[in-house]
Amino acid sequence: MRYKNLNRLLILTFFFFFLILPLGQILAQEDTLPPAPPTEVRASDTQNDNGHSITITWKLSGDDGAGKKDVVAYEILRSESPAGEFVVRGMVPAGNNTYQDRGAKEKEDKNYFHPYHDFYYKVRAKTLNSYSESGVAGPAQAYGQWFHLGKLPVFVGTLAFTIMVLAFISLARKGKKFYVRPLAGIDAVDDAIGRATEMGRPILYILGLGSAADIATIASFTILNRIAKKTAEHKTKIIVPCNDPIVMSVAQETVKAGYLDAGRPDMYQEENIFYITSMQFAYVAAVNGIMLREKTATNFYLGKFYAESLILAETGSVAGSIQISGTDEIAQIPFFVAATDYTLIGEELYAASAYLGREPLLLGALKAQDLAKAIVMISLASGAVAASFHLDFFLRLFTVQM
Amino acid sequence: MRRQLPILIVFVSGVFMVIQYFIPHESFEFIYEYAMDWIIIIGIFAMLLGLWSLTRASVSKVQAKAPGWGFSVMTLVGLATMLFLGFYKGNKSIAEGTFFMDLFWYIYTPIQATMFSLLAFYIASAAYRSFRVRTVLATILLVTALIIMLRLIPLGPISGVNQWLASWILTVPNMAAKRAIWIGVGLGATATALKIIFGIERAYMGKD
Amino acid sequence: METIGIWIAALLTLGIFSFLYKDNPFYKFCESLFVGISAGYWFVTTFWQVFMPKLADNLVAGRLYYIIGGVFGVLMLLRLFPKIGWLSRWSLALVVGTTAGLYFTRYLVSNGMIQVQNTIIPLYVKGNLSQTIGNLVIVIGTFSGLIYFFFSKEHKGAFGGLAKLGIWFLMLSFGASFGYTVMSRMSLLIGRMDFLLGTWLGLIR
Repeated sequence: MRYKNLNRLLILTFFFFFLILPLGQILAQEDTLPPAPPTEVRASDTQNDNGHSITITWKLSGDDGAGKKDVVAYEILRSESPAGEFVVRGMVPAGNNTYQDRGAKEKEDKNYFHPYHDFYYKVRAKTLNSYSESGVAGPAQAYGQWFHLGKLPVFVGTLAFTIMVLAFISLARKGKKFYVRPLAGIDAVDDAIGRATEMGRPILYILGLGSAADIATIASFTILNRIAKKTAEHKTKIIVPCNDPIVMSVAQETVKAGYLDAGRPDMYQEENIFYITSMQFAYVAAVNGIMLREKTATNFYLGKFYAESLILAETGSVAGSIQISGTDEIAQIPFFVAATDYTLIGEELYAASAYLGREPLLLGALKAQDLAKAIVMISLASGAVAASFHLDFFLRLFTVQM
Repeated sequence: MRRQLPILIVFVSGVFMVIQYFIPHESFEFIYEYAMDWIIIIGIFAMLLGLWSLTRASVSKVQAKAPGWGFSVMTLVGLATMLFLGFYKGNKSIAEGTFFMDLFWYIYTPIQATMFSLLAFYIASAAYRSFRVRTVLATILLVTALIIMLRLIPLGPISGVNQWLASWILTVPNMAAKRAIWIGVGLGATATALKIIFGIERAYMGKD
Repeated sequence: METIGIWIAALLTLGIFSFLYKDNPFYKFCESLFVGISAGYWFVTTFWQVFMPKLADNLVAGRLYYIIGGVFGVLMLLRLFPKIGWLSRWSLALVVGTTAGLYFTRYLVSNGMIQVQNTIIPLYVKGNLSQTIGNLVIVIGTFSGLIYFFFSKEHKGAFGGLAKLGIWFLMLSFGASFGYTVMSRMSLLIGRMDFLLGTWLGLIR
């Protein structure tokens, strides 16, 4: 029994020393053999950038995805002379054949990348235990571009749309009359102001949470101007609580201008256009109070709105006010639709200022919007048909590379 | 000078910002970054206008003994307390554990969270009101809302059909409608921006 | 401090909830305190976290172009003096002009071109009926939605029919957003209840 076991042990030992160990060594040796190096390394300025980056491309190592398949990553090394010391700038996983070596544009930044300066690059293919290096590529220099070619479609769009807007405005200047269809929310404005006048109660105008620089807020300023003019004609009080100090300043100017337009500058009261706080829900708490205590007959919510939209609209609705809302914040439109009497959806908010003023110039711009919309719809329809036949011409017209 | 120069500033800064979008070169990037910082700085100075407006309104209510003037006193006390606590120890005044932050955590935060949570009631009452309207449009809105809600409730989705329908609605017709709104808003906003840059829309400047 | 703090927080929470019944002095008290505290908090934090690093620190570091921002900021304050208040329009003009230019390209790209790009999809996908139907619905929905936003033509006849289809799509989308939001709003309420019944009264854990 004992001898038998000893025999087994001997045989196992034999196997271990003469078969498994050498095999392991051979395998291990295999692993320390360097992989095939990356080839055709090229370094050149990165296109469409600010001038602080060089792009390096290479042909994958023969052992990346093929051959021994043991390449795990590539390291990118840089030097200021071909024979100088190369330092690692970055690493990408196997299968990638391009790297952007970029740095900061501020001279005081420690990661500053010198433009107009010669750099040399090498790419290192790495396995778990070994690596091999490509030849040196370069010199390459980084420099900034003066036009972003990937944004060419946007440039064309910008020019085309600007020309359209200016052309229609100049047509309007020459006295061309434009037709626009009636818009329910707009038609309701006069009634709503009339109602407040009859009831002898004030009108509340909320510009939303946007800053004076938000386009939706600026569109709302123009509407406020028109409404202020009407309230001045009707001698109805208008209250404008604001969420942003600059918005408040502009609202004061806008309302004052409306009163001037109506020929009633004496009736303008600056204290009715005031600032509360910039914090969302504190502002809402106060506006809720104003609605109930001032018993506003009509509430306008026009501009940028967030979660507070429904709190405001529901409070006003329970208080029995007529409410007209409008925003370009898609997420809030449903709540305005559900809780207010009229809602200007998205683009209608921008159209409202033209509708209310009936100023030929603003109507002209609205026509340009419609023309652009028609072009978009035609492109959409023909693009989809073309795409069904695998033609991507229309798609390329609208494709922007950032 | 009073009207022409601001219109010129709007035009120059607006055109610059449009042009810089197409120019990646660093010189434009630098000016862009300064301009954005200047705007933030202007906004900070404007804060004083806000505080002035709030204080003046509250003080005049108290002085006139207008209805509810006592509440204006509360506003002033709250404001003055925060301003004092926020500055009396320099920039260490707003570190965690200061009385300033205690007021933030025990007064500001709970009121804010409660105001926000009122939405749970309001969303229910808004749904109820749409339910009573009984037009085709209101019905479409409510039925869709119901389908999505049943998918998301803790017990849901109530069936495989519900699950499939909800995700189809979200990714197909919902997406189509959103794109129409987005494109419309895009055209409206760009047209408005152009009107501002070219000085056609200038109601926001006021009049003399 | 913590116990007093929790009690104050709980009473304020109840004060805000009382508004659901009707406007009352308790709510008015919470509201006016909230307004004062929040305005003060906002001013103080913006001062320390934005004003100091953006203006003071940059000026100290010798970046003198920040003076321009400071000058425009001071001009904004001149509104407080009626005689020279018109100078604040210069600052306003800078703010509005800069952002109008910024938003112009931003809206053009993200709201215009990218959306159009995403909607140019094949109307027929070989061997995939559900995707074919889906793509068809997306293109028709977007198209009819845009018809609804068309201002130059009255919604009558076939055009009116398409516009009506468009508004149906919009309502469906609004319903989806509505339904999607309900649960998250409920969880906010549950959060407050948890505070009142758990943290404050200790009734639930």
